[in-house]
Amino acid sequence: MATREAGKKMIMLKSPDGMEFEVEEAVAMESQTIRKMIEDDCADTAILIPNINSKILSRVIEYCNKHVPTTGATGAAASDTVAPAALAEDLKIWDAEFIKVNRATRFNLIQAASYLNIKGLLDLTSQTTIDTISDNSLEEIRSFLSTKNDYLPEEEQTIRRENQWAFQ
Amino acid sequence: MAMAEAASLLPGLPDEIATWEILVRLPPKSILRCRAVCPAWHRATTARGFLLAHHARQPALPLLYSKDYNCSVGDDIKSIDIIPYDHRAADKLHSVARLDGASHISLEACCDGLLVLRTYSKRGEGYALTTFICNPGTRQYAPLHQLDGFGLLGMYPHSPSGEYRLLVVQKTKKSDGCYVYTIGSSQPPRHIGCPDDKELMTSPESVFFRGSLHWHTDTMITVFDTTNESFRQMHSPMVSADDHAELFEMSDMLGMFCFNEKENIVDIWVMQDYEGEVWALQHRVKLPIAEIMEQFEYSGGWFDLVAASWDGDVLLLIQFQDNWLLQVDMDGKLIVNIHHRFMYPTLLRLKQSLLSHIFFPPLEDYVVNASPFI
Repeated sequence: MATREAGKKMIMLKSPDGMEFEVEEAVAMESQTIRKMIEDDCADTAILIPNINSKILSRVIEYCNKHVPTTGATGAAASDTVAPAALAEDLKIWDAEFIKVNRATRFNLIQAASYLNIKGLLDLTSQTTIDTISDNSLEEIRSFLSTKNDYLPEEEQTIRRENQWAFQ
Repeated sequence: MAMAEAASLLPGLPDEIATWEILVRLPPKSILRCRAVCPAWHRATTARGFLLAHHARQPALPLLYSKDYNCSVGDDIKSIDIIPYDHRAADKLHSVARLDGASHISLEACCDGLLVLRTYSKRGEGYALTTFICNPGTRQYAPLHQLDGFGLLGMYPHSPSGEYRLLVVQKTKKSDGCYVYTIGSSQPPRHIGCPDDKELMTSPESVFFRGSLHWHTDTMITVFDTTNESFRQMHSPMVSADDHAELFEMSDMLGMFCFNEKENIVDIWVMQDYEGEVWALQHRVKLPIAEIMEQFEYSGGWFDLVAASWDGDVLLLIQFQDNWLLQVDMDGKLIVNIHHRFMYPTLLRLKQSLLSHIFFPPLEDYVVNASPFI
């Protein structure tokens, strides 16, 4: 197919607020959802990404650009000179910077990563919340995540007692 | 409308995403704890579908156990820890269960997050044997009284009935075949017969793979089909009788490791075609013995070795002199060394699960944090 032979086929992604983003097909295909659309030939001109505004979509594209595996002539040269461990370390530092956003943005990114099915981004964005739940007391979890506690005090005591060891 | 609806799990995220992208990724212990955050979290994290998905995400980690003596070897054992070996975090291994009051422990079988254990406790001049099933993830346990006098060959989920069963043999009458015991049943094990039980009893532990239990017996693989509960045999790779060969599960294939102690070589075989019974030698690993001798003052002697696979990687765990646990990769390179007294690898793998089972007594009946778990 013509699309496969061209080294840098471009894909147009459209957000619901009317912004258009032109990205390399390989970058867009970091999203398994988009990959499927392209492979099923459902992506002729532009792909509308519902529910993800342009601010979030641009950040998602930024992530995919950074994480797309380097292939082809230039990519091979890069991996020859830079050790894989160093590349992985560089990505880790980049990820840590990338995720320094407020909770609302992070939650929007989780939703986008889930809809677009981008495993790495999903792992990265959900980890902060997972750590919050794993590392804090119940009171802190409720306060950090604004969840409402509608247990009666004795109900909460019963649940705590059932798995008392898990609170140590 | 929105005000009247039930509180969302995580304000700012649809419940579906909060459940299937956040809560399901929590470690087992955090799930138990987070149920006390609010009733909505409790509902979400106790649903059967959620627990199945959570179990499916858990890695199957090789199990280790370690003994803590009161003072020195020969004294009473203070406690025994059961530790999953996570090779990504080998520097901080966590015990999932600690048992006290036992002099010796034997990890017998492990399947779907359930672990069958035997403990030996001093009773007068002799030792009392206790067999029990536990879920280290929830700390539920139940004694299995019907199994006194039986040797355990393996545990499996019996898919037609949804029960968990144990394949056992009578210790004193080794020629009368195999028995099947349903966990939770008050009935004694049921005789099913089998001509090869003598060999099975001296064979290493079984591997549950594709609905069957597998043992390497002499020159063959003995297979127990757990659906119709019958035996058959399969081809084994040709290995020398002097070598120590055992089966293990390699991602979606049956594997066998074969340890030649004279040459310090470990061969890793995989069954590339299960139906066709085609084995292939995938790795030949030369153990870094010179390095081990120099670095850990190892002067030969007993060498406990198991192979385990996870995420497509095969790793070897080696224990020696009751002091060291080493991890060696397929290039024969020493990756991790842990100095830990009396910590031993097993062939079992634990894939944690929080699913509830009717054979465990309800949790409120337990004396919390009492023996066997502390």
